Amino acid sequence: MSYGFAAINTSGQTIISDEMENLHFLGKATLTGNDGGNYGDFPGYGGANDTLDGRVIFTYTITATAPPLVFIKPSDYNRWHAIITQSNSGSTWTFDVIASGTSTSDAPELYCFVNANSTSGTTSTHGLVVWKPDGTTRTFDSRYNPLAISDGGTLAPPLDPTDGSGLPGNTSGHSWNYATNDHDFRSTTRYTSSAVTGTYSALMFAAPSLAQATYKRQMEGYKKSTWCCASCCGHCLCSSSQEHWSTAMWWVMYRNTFRLRSGYMDAGWTNYAAGYSFSSSHEGGGWFGGGGGSYSSGSMPYTAKTINLTSNAYIIADATRYG
Amino acid sequence: MSYGLNVYKADGSLGFSTLDIVWMQIDQFTVAANASVANTYPEVSGMTVIAQMQMINDPPASQEAYAPEVIVSGTTVSVAPYTSKTSEQVIIMVLAQD
Repeated sequence: MSYGFAAINTSGQTIISDEMENLHFLGKATLTGNDGGNYGDFPGYGGANDTLDGRVIFTYTITATAPPLVFIKPSDYNRWHAIITQSNSGSTWTFDVIASGTSTSDAPELYCFVNANSTSGTTSTHGLVVWKPDGTTRTFDSRYNPLAISDGGTLAPPLDPTDGSGLPGNTSGHSWNYATNDHDFRSTTRYTSSAVTGTYSALMFAAPSLAQATYKRQMEGYKKSTWCCASCCGHCLCSSSQEHWSTAMWWVMYRNTFRLRSGYMDAGWTNYAAGYSFSSSHEGGGWFGGGGGSYSSGSMPYTAKTINLTSNAYIIADATRYG
Repeated sequence: MSYGLNVYKADGSLGFSTLDIVWMQIDQFTVAANASVANTYPEVSGMTVIAQMQMINDPPASQEAYAPEVIVSGTTVSVAPYTSKTSEQVIIMVLAQD
């Protein structure tokens, strides 16, 4: 360049420039509530493989004149987290963060960063400010804690979000009214990893949740009842039959979530919603009626599949430098 | 350090240094549902570029919310729905590292 400012780090990388903008700490988003936690198990079901990881949705807001880059700083690093929804009304931004487990304690903190020109309010008279050649747009302003990152890359979770062997599916040939789930829908072992540096308990990550998945286990039950309607001398002269059917179905919807642990960033899954349905019916007019009834909780949002399974960019930074 | 730049806060603590590593924010833009966008950034020539995508206003519990495809090729970032798919509204944040 013929004029301007550039700071080059010890690796030869430009880290301050009058042409490109650094991100700066805007503040922590305000926790406004949570949904109470849910789906630690299948609603309405109490048999085998009932347990799910569970989740809580925490909601936050912050005022920003530009879309902020948001980092999640876990309070409990054993939990998986991700921003699953963000929206804005004017300059008020709202974020829904999913956390695995059903405890409403230990809400994560959200650290928000924006470009220098979207920061305001400091009265500090010390520091370094760099402007673009237009003389009015700030690209760097040390008074607002410029973002320094420790790691970055791309990650995608594995296709199968379930701990059970293989993807769950449909099977028939079960006995009538059979409703025992044989698939483990938890996600504790389903993740991919990328190495990170630094003391993990000080780190925070910016990693949007894009991938989502819905899977179900369905069991079809059947019974055919046959009886004798007239007999003579020990022989059946007339027989009749009646067919019985049942369907048991467990479904879970997942969102891509992330976890920081010693040496690694993991991309995995957390169940967002779940449901169980059971129905039992029989052929009309028979003597051996008595269907098993029906039950249904929620509705599966779409047919079983994983979507948006693409590597998305993540960034990791040391939270102790901010706030 | 024996050379470089340290920028201190008013309280005397170190705020930023040439020992730090950064990702510069090159651009951020919203792509409407089912729309296609391609933006070129000549200033990042020779740098590593990533595009972070976040869906906005997606209803995660009630429908298939498809993200568009994002391709970073040199200094151009392209966003478009996958073939035969719809796509949700997203915010794209373009970051670059020298």
